[in-house]
Amino acid sequence: MSIMSYNGGTVVAMAGKECVAIASDKRFGIQYSTVSMDYPKVFEMGPHLFLGLAGLATDVQTVSQRLKFRLNLYELQENRHIKPKTFSSMVSNLLYERRFGPYFIEPIIAGLDPKTHEPFISVMDLIGQPCISTDFAVIGTANEQLYGMCETLWQPNLEPNDLFETISQALMNAFDRDAYSGWGAVVYIIEKDKVTVKELKTRMD
Amino acid sequence: MFDIKTDTRKMPIEHHFNPYEMNGGTIVGVAGEDFAVIASDTRLSEGYSILSRENPHLYHVQPHTVMGSVGFHGDSLTFNKTLQIRLRMYEYENNKKCSTPAVAQLISTMLYSRRFFPYYVNTIVAGINNEGQGCIYSYDPVGSYEREVYRAGGSSSALIQPLLDSQLGLKNQGSFELSRSYTVKMSRENVVALVKDVFTAAAERDIYTGDAVFINIITKDGVFTEHFKLRRD
Amino acid sequence: MLALATRNEDELLKETRAITENATIPSGISSIAIPPYSDPKEFLAQYNKPDSAVSIKFNRGTTTLAFKYQGGVIVAVDSRATGGAYIASQTVKKVIEINPYLLGTMAGGAADCQFWERVLSKHCRIYELRNKERISVAGASKILANMVYSYKNMGLSMGTMIAGWDKRGPGLYYVGDDGTRVTNNIFSVGSGSTYAYGVLDSEYKWDLNDTEAYELGRRAIYHATHRDAMSGGMVRIYHMKSTGWVKISEEDVTDLYYRYKAQEAVAAQ
Repeated sequence: MSIMSYNGGTVVAMAGKECVAIASDKRFGIQYSTVSMDYPKVFEMGPHLFLGLAGLATDVQTVSQRLKFRLNLYELQENRHIKPKTFSSMVSNLLYERRFGPYFIEPIIAGLDPKTHEPFISVMDLIGQPCISTDFAVIGTANEQLYGMCETLWQPNLEPNDLFETISQALMNAFDRDAYSGWGAVVYIIEKDKVTVKELKTRMD
Repeated sequence: MFDIKTDTRKMPIEHHFNPYEMNGGTIVGVAGEDFAVIASDTRLSEGYSILSRENPHLYHVQPHTVMGSVGFHGDSLTFNKTLQIRLRMYEYENNKKCSTPAVAQLISTMLYSRRFFPYYVNTIVAGINNEGQGCIYSYDPVGSYEREVYRAGGSSSALIQPLLDSQLGLKNQGSFELSRSYTVKMSRENVVALVKDVFTAAAERDIYTGDAVFINIITKDGVFTEHFKLRRD
Repeated sequence: MLALATRNEDELLKETRAITENATIPSGISSIAIPPYSDPKEFLAQYNKPDSAVSIKFNRGTTTLAFKYQGGVIVAVDSRATGGAYIASQTVKKVIEINPYLLGTMAGGAADCQFWERVLSKHCRIYELRNKERISVAGASKILANMVYSYKNMGLSMGTMIAGWDKRGPGLYYVGDDGTRVTNNIFSVGSGSTYAYGVLDSEYKWDLNDTEAYELGRRAIYHATHRDAMSGGMVRIYHMKSTGWVKISEEDVTDLYYRYKAQEAVAAQ
């Protein structure tokens, strides 16, 4: 049994035309048993900045809260919103600090640059090796299924509505083939002037 | 207490033989109203090396039946050989060719006959049944099997299956109503196009899938083949 | 021929032993090869680790239940098969139709259940031809138990319920992979069985009418699929009557979830 799949859960992010989307399932389980169905894994870190964490639930909470703390310090010191790329380095730093006793999570950072509004997506392993991607990023127990879905459904320059449809279909069909994730989903569409949050109606088994 | 210096010398030395290897490969089968499509990639690998770029994992076992078998290549070959013999015996004993559903049941019992030392294979059978309908059967390594409408097996099964659910099963598109049909409504051309698409996607992310897709289209007139190139890296 | 109502277990043993002594290696079907290892269970366990490059995963994971009541036996099952965390299928037939008066259920290794219940159906048919009457549920379940007992400690994995109707009325037996064979009014087997028992025990009465009984089976399986990650797909319900089994329903659990949710909303108002 892998510690990364102890609680289950999956996150996906996709880039569109002047927009990004990030979505996660809502299951919190302990191995086979589903404990909660209201446990999203996407955290709002700023007006255009979102963080998705998949892996061990206790570390998901710890990491998201420690990052929020470091982010607050940064923004107080600098008196400006952080760039997604800078935030990505911050996540990477935090994770590498635990190089020999890592947090059992993998993060996805999705956002728009506060000035240029350029889409940004990065994904890391559990010790903070970042990988900036221009198309999509997937993590969690349904990652294989998501790779298959995203690789065919995703196309460049999707408009916000199409991006929502694409990411939702990718996520739902992927986690319907994974026993450890599902039980509801939440999707964030991040545009220059607004963020839309949508809950998906999914299978509940 | 265990003393490593004296006690290890008394212990028997264990020699371990690993009878299995994972040689990769992916198969996809789709049942149409009057046809069945089964496709596989043509890569054969061992660890990080490629053994062959031209090795389809499909075995034409009866005029209207094709078996796809991936996992350990040695077991695939042996299983196919044994199956061919059993099918020839069937033909001589019954004076007719074995129908697709009968081949499907035979494969199940043959796989189970090695329950305690399994063939390490994932199997999909595609063909036309006696009613002229396309049919697909899929198996686990010890022979549990089920008739299905579409199925992906092998190293990329987890990448491809959700896509087929979405495109052929029309899952998550409003209604959760069960489909009671054993075939897809899609035309032969569209199924073949979809199969090419899903293999292209799988080849992007799975190192055990690539080089080319070998497609078999089974109709009442026989088996037609098609070749489609994939990335070779 | 002995009257079914009066014979005891010893006589039953004689009857079934004659069948199963020749049956451990199923005749007519290719025999099961002797493994070239002393312990096949341990041998296969090596290839069941998630990090192993070679990974032989059998399809498994389940919720199944059956209960006797005034109107016969209800058999209800889910339809999910999992290989590790991967959902291999959502459409598995976990009720095995042995003959018009016997049903078997499938929990544990899918192949083990499918194969041995197929062999069982052959034996039941042969019994019918030899004795000009149907086999009893007790007899049929004992044939199965004897067959799997001869493979004890070889790593077979099955938890099956045999439901039927014979001269004694409705019959229900649990047969386990270690040769266990017990009879009772209520059984639930599989990874989701604890959830199903919870619902079953709180609502079960002998005097349930047919509709209530179907709904109880349905709800029990539905709740198990909701909480157990390894169960899901659809709920299939069978009713064993004096005239043989009838398939009652086959519903996707997602439909049930949203239907029950709507009912709760109405009830809350």
